[in-house]
Amino acid sequence: MTGRRSRIGTGIPTVALVLAAAAGVWLLFAHNAKEPELRVASQHALRAPNGQPQLVSIEPLPEMPGETCEWIPASARVSLLQERRAASSSAESSDERRTLDMDRAPVRTIRDPNPSYSAIAVEPASDMVVVTDENLFQVLEYNRLDNTPPTAKMTEPKRVIGGTNTKTEMMCGVYIDPKTLDTYVVNNDTQDWLAIFSKQAKGNVAPDRVLATPHGTFGIAVDEAKQEMYLTVQHQNAVYVYRKLASGNEKPLRVLAGNDTQLEDPHGVAVDTKNNLLIVSNHGNVSYRDPNDPESVPRGGAEGGGRSFRPGSGEFQPASITIYSRDAKENQRPLRVIEGPKTRLNWPGQIAVDEERGEIYVANDMDHSIAVFKISDSGDIAPTRLIRGPKSGIQNPTGVTLDLKNKELWVANMGNHSATAYPLGSNGDVAPIRKIRGGPAEEPALMIGNPGAVGYDSKRQEILVPN
Amino acid sequence: MAHPQIAAFARLAKGGATPNRLVAGQDTKLSRTMHDIRYDAANDEFLVTNPFAQAILIFAGGADGNQPPARIIQGPSTRIGDPDRLDVDPAHDEIIIPNETAILVFSRKASGNAAPLRVIEGPDTMLRRATSAAVDPVHNLIIVGLNQGGRRGTPGALLIFNRTDNGNVKPRAVIRGPKSGITRINQIALYPEKGWIVATQPGEGADMEPEGAFIGVWSINDNGDVPPRWKINANAKSAMKKPRGVVLDPKNKEMIVADMRLNSIITYYFPEIF
Repeated sequence: MTGRRSRIGTGIPTVALVLAAAAGVWLLFAHNAKEPELRVASQHALRAPNGQPQLVSIEPLPEMPGETCEWIPASARVSLLQERRAASSSAESSDERRTLDMDRAPVRTIRDPNPSYSAIAVEPASDMVVVTDENLFQVLEYNRLDNTPPTAKMTEPKRVIGGTNTKTEMMCGVYIDPKTLDTYVVNNDTQDWLAIFSKQAKGNVAPDRVLATPHGTFGIAVDEAKQEMYLTVQHQNAVYVYRKLASGNEKPLRVLAGNDTQLEDPHGVAVDTKNNLLIVSNHGNVSYRDPNDPESVPRGGAEGGGRSFRPGSGEFQPASITIYSRDAKENQRPLRVIEGPKTRLNWPGQIAVDEERGEIYVANDMDHSIAVFKISDSGDIAPTRLIRGPKSGIQNPTGVTLDLKNKELWVANMGNHSATAYPLGSNGDVAPIRKIRGGPAEEPALMIGNPGAVGYDSKRQEILVPN
Repeated sequence: MAHPQIAAFARLAKGGATPNRLVAGQDTKLSRTMHDIRYDAANDEFLVTNPFAQAILIFAGGADGNQPPARIIQGPSTRIGDPDRLDVDPAHDEIIIPNETAILVFSRKASGNAAPLRVIEGPDTMLRRATSAAVDPVHNLIIVGLNQGGRRGTPGALLIFNRTDNGNVKPRAVIRGPKSGITRINQIALYPEKGWIVATQPGEGADMEPEGAFIGVWSINDNGDVPPRWKINANAKSAMKKPRGVVLDPKNKEMIVADMRLNSIITYYFPEIF
């Protein structure tokens, strides 16, 4: 403040002197041209012309529009000068032009400081709960029995995996190997890898094993009996099936993809080994392949393919659960489809299957619910149970998993930084029996995910952020 | 991403401030991978793409919740293949879609299975991996951003076409090369009043915190391997890591950036360009 006062204090007299001198020069030189008017004005003001500048009148300065004390950084002066030079010497060779680095601190930043749980897996024998965090790009392990009191800021994780060495970023799927306790993590974007971490992995470590996966891979399910791994791929409307221990650029064992599959922006995936079924949740966005285009055939691994759809073939279909034979491949039709307004499906995410009870659990993101269907359901049918309501704490659930040993249902709530556990047979607005939190209670998550663009609504003065 | 949405934050929001409104849900027909969003102040609408359903979605400016779009451009006549980004020209009532090897221009009022009014495509256009575009209605130009051809592959570029170009036409200017610093171009914002092209340059796609990421400002008169006139680099001072989105707020002399690695929106006071 002292410095600013002193600059202002010395600046005002200087400016006044310059203005006075300028006014004098103007009056002197303008005298001849404006003499008749000045003479009349001066006479009117009871002044006689004497060949010297005289004070004629004092008028207030007009009001300036907008802010009159706008802060301009010192760097602006340099850049404005450069701009004028550039404008006045357009013939200047491009080779001679230098970039002006204008690095500066932001004036505002919108950022959720807490993890957002996108997917969840539980391993009851070792009390492991693992969640993927799509906000801060972490894999977090908690104890299954953790229960965070409302006064606590967050639940302390047992370990955290995250950083630039981990090959993990936009994670949407997670699986725990029940024997080795390895954690399998699916990247949906930016890192086209399935990363596998040992139970000992912690911090910014490289994965113990990686498998190159197609861009847009979302969900994961493993058939332990057959040692097969199922991955949904959004960008190809496909399900890739790999060896469970596949690595590197290994090719899939088989691929389910094609215009008849009704795979439409597939997300969650589950395998019912008892009934020999493969179950997939779909958001309903779809484009169709040209059967004569070799590029439209998914080949997997480094060979790619599969992303070429016929231009103009896109459609919007309702959200759905599509059910196939477990060994379905190529352009195989579903055995049955759960779809329609009674289903309440609204951006269904991860799914889980209780083989013994014959039930499918759906993380129903925009209905803020877990919808439960019978494995035999088909068509436009209401869920047999719906866990939903303010007591449940379910908000934007994108992940769901089952602990069949302890008869518990676990939900990853992307909308409020929490993972919540319920008795397996719950229905309605039931309170969770335990809650794990990544942030303060009742603090909603921003759910900004991989923002690739930004807009500005000048009418409402709002920043528009699409995921 | 696990959850698609469009969040609308107050201009002065910061930290973990919650959005004023959220557009999300089955009826919105949104998908993930919305790599562009444009607000049309003249008609109070905003526009996004749905690449999985090959559609352009136009919403009422104040859309909220599970609200459907006001109009959808989709269907075989559209020729839309993989619509990554877009722009709207309210002055000439047109929507511009980069479509990998072509630029499709639609009537702004188009709805349903509408054919494009004009298509820039062909070997002379140099359009390969054209994934972003912006229109300058004052100077009658379309600026196109090209993506990189695979990791360490052919770098991206900025191509400049006349706004009314149609068919197999050469771009009037190409900004590309090592001096340009362009690896790949993501969202582009224009300031036609001064002829500035403001483009995000997020670096290598697979690098989490890539070297050489920046927001660059070029002139519509630039051509060849020219560096940006100004740039804000991704570094500790700017707090940027991987800028992918950019929009300008001339009234407040601000540049607003979407940073993918930080999952954040960063606003800079940047009076030099206004």
